[in-house]
Amino acid sequence: MATDTQPAGTSYKRTLRVRQIIIWAILLVGALAMIAPFEWMIATSFSRLANQSMPRPPRLWPIDPSLFNYEVAVKNLPILRYYLNSLFVTAVSTVGYLFFSSLTGYVFAKGRFIGKPVLFVILLMTLMVPFEVRMIPLYLLMRRLDLTNTYWALILPFLSGGFGMFLMRQYMTTIPDDLVDAARVDGANEFAIYWRVVLPLCGPPLAALAVLNALWRWNDVLWPLMVISKSELYTVTLGLATAARQQGILTGVALASTTLAILPIALLYILLQRFIIKGIAYSGLKG
Amino acid sequence: MLSYRVRKSLVWYLFLLPTYLLFALFLVYPTIQTFWLSFYREVNTVQEFAGLYQYTRLIANQVFQRAILNTVVLGVAFLVVVLPLSLVLASLLNNLRRGSNFFKMIYFLPQITSTVAVALVFGYVFQPNWGLINGALRLLGVQDLPLWLADPRYSLTGSRAAVTILAVWVALGYYMLIFLAGLQAIPTDSYDAAVVDGAGPLQSWWYITLPGLRPTFVFLILTGTIDAMSRFSDLWTLGGPGGTPARSLQTVVMFMYQTAFEAYDFNLSSAVAVVLFFIVLGLTLINFRVFLGQEFGGAEREAAA
Repeated sequence: MATDTQPAGTSYKRTLRVRQIIIWAILLVGALAMIAPFEWMIATSFSRLANQSMPRPPRLWPIDPSLFNYEVAVKNLPILRYYLNSLFVTAVSTVGYLFFSSLTGYVFAKGRFIGKPVLFVILLMTLMVPFEVRMIPLYLLMRRLDLTNTYWALILPFLSGGFGMFLMRQYMTTIPDDLVDAARVDGANEFAIYWRVVLPLCGPPLAALAVLNALWRWNDVLWPLMVISKSELYTVTLGLATAARQQGILTGVALASTTLAILPIALLYILLQRFIIKGIAYSGLKG
Repeated sequence: MLSYRVRKSLVWYLFLLPTYLLFALFLVYPTIQTFWLSFYREVNTVQEFAGLYQYTRLIANQVFQRAILNTVVLGVAFLVVVLPLSLVLASLLNNLRRGSNFFKMIYFLPQITSTVAVALVFGYVFQPNWGLINGALRLLGVQDLPLWLADPRYSLTGSRAAVTILAVWVALGYYMLIFLAGLQAIPTDSYDAAVVDGAGPLQSWWYITLPGLRPTFVFLILTGTIDAMSRFSDLWTLGGPGGTPARSLQTVVMFMYQTAFEAYDFNLSSAVAVVLFFIVLGLTLINFRVFLGQEFGGAEREAAA
């Protein structure tokens, strides 16, 4: 825009600038609406008075800033324990999901074997069964295997998924066959080719899947609600939901717990936002 | 002796084995059992074949009918609001020269926040006496403040409206990003050609932008409908499995959960799951058809992004 130096262009330039400012202003109003609930949550979480009577009109800055609600929240809620549970379950299931997705993706992208089309169709068909359709028998299965109230119940059913495999396969078919064949000629076995040659080239889909799967697992509440009833094993989401039922009247404390559940993830998001947004836009799907 | 081809195949089968075992155990077996359970009934703790008994019970169940109606109403309301709104925002963002990453980050923030946490906060945001929204309305001079989540009626200020605002607020950033990708995939020469032909901005929008966004619309409507069919977490957080107030927020999956874990009627609950399966299957087939049929530009778009 700096190239336009002719006098005749100035009024056109001004119109353009005004237009930019208007667009900016509208988007800013929307952005404020997106932020306001979070801001209000944080402000209220620092107000001790909020537990007895909420200010009218609502305030975006606490009248009596104090850490009281956080002290109560941390005392009532073993939030650190919940974090460790969520972290463990999310990490293990995401690593497993990436491994199985990429290995199966590799088989369908580069493998030559009898029955490949049939097995691939079976894989695609798994995409048509939503989790909610099979969750009741899955719960009964977990109960029968004596896996309810264990981490396994939160990890095992999510180790493999058709979506991840399909995405990995699509990406891996774009890797030239020559590369794989060259490694074969050098005598590498198929697993070594997958692990050392193909996988290092799959950064973008692996990153996208890691982000998506971590978000799904971290934020899921329906499945943990079904298979976990011991509070030591609660994930952050389940712990928060359960606590909300008990301390619902104490607005300040409830919002302090919610802030504790949201804030670390939000900070992580701000650090990694480009990466996360790109990952989700890449796959064009969320769940 | 195994033929050469079979022996060559073995290593690939070995790679597939763990995945397909996991599929068989955690996906195929439970899915089959869902169907199986839906045709049985429990008599004195023994499962007995009962034909279509659970389905006749289900059809006659008014709570279920209501849950279906709620799910559809909430899904339609959500799409009707979120699609135009996110398209407008995406168009604005597409014309913005600077700072679009900042706005993307802000609008996308609710997407990474747990649904439960967001729903908890909105429970307070919609509180009739001191909540954020009614506080703002009061400042604007509104006299009759709406009850929001405490009002089960069909109304623009009732519980269904409140949870629709919540869902739109959560999903807006995602829909906006997908529309933005769609807008950026429309070739600029089409617009240049339209200007040469003397089209105004409104005509360009109507004749080039909207048809160009057709695949994006189809994708968002179908995935949005499937998401709406399995809606659970936010409504459960706000209204419990019964969808308080007055079951106005109970969806199909919430009904399914309540039937299984509060009434311990796994057979009836499985019948609900089968119904859900066929609804989602229908939607997925439409999705495949539309995408495989006429959208091979999608691969190029992905490559460009």
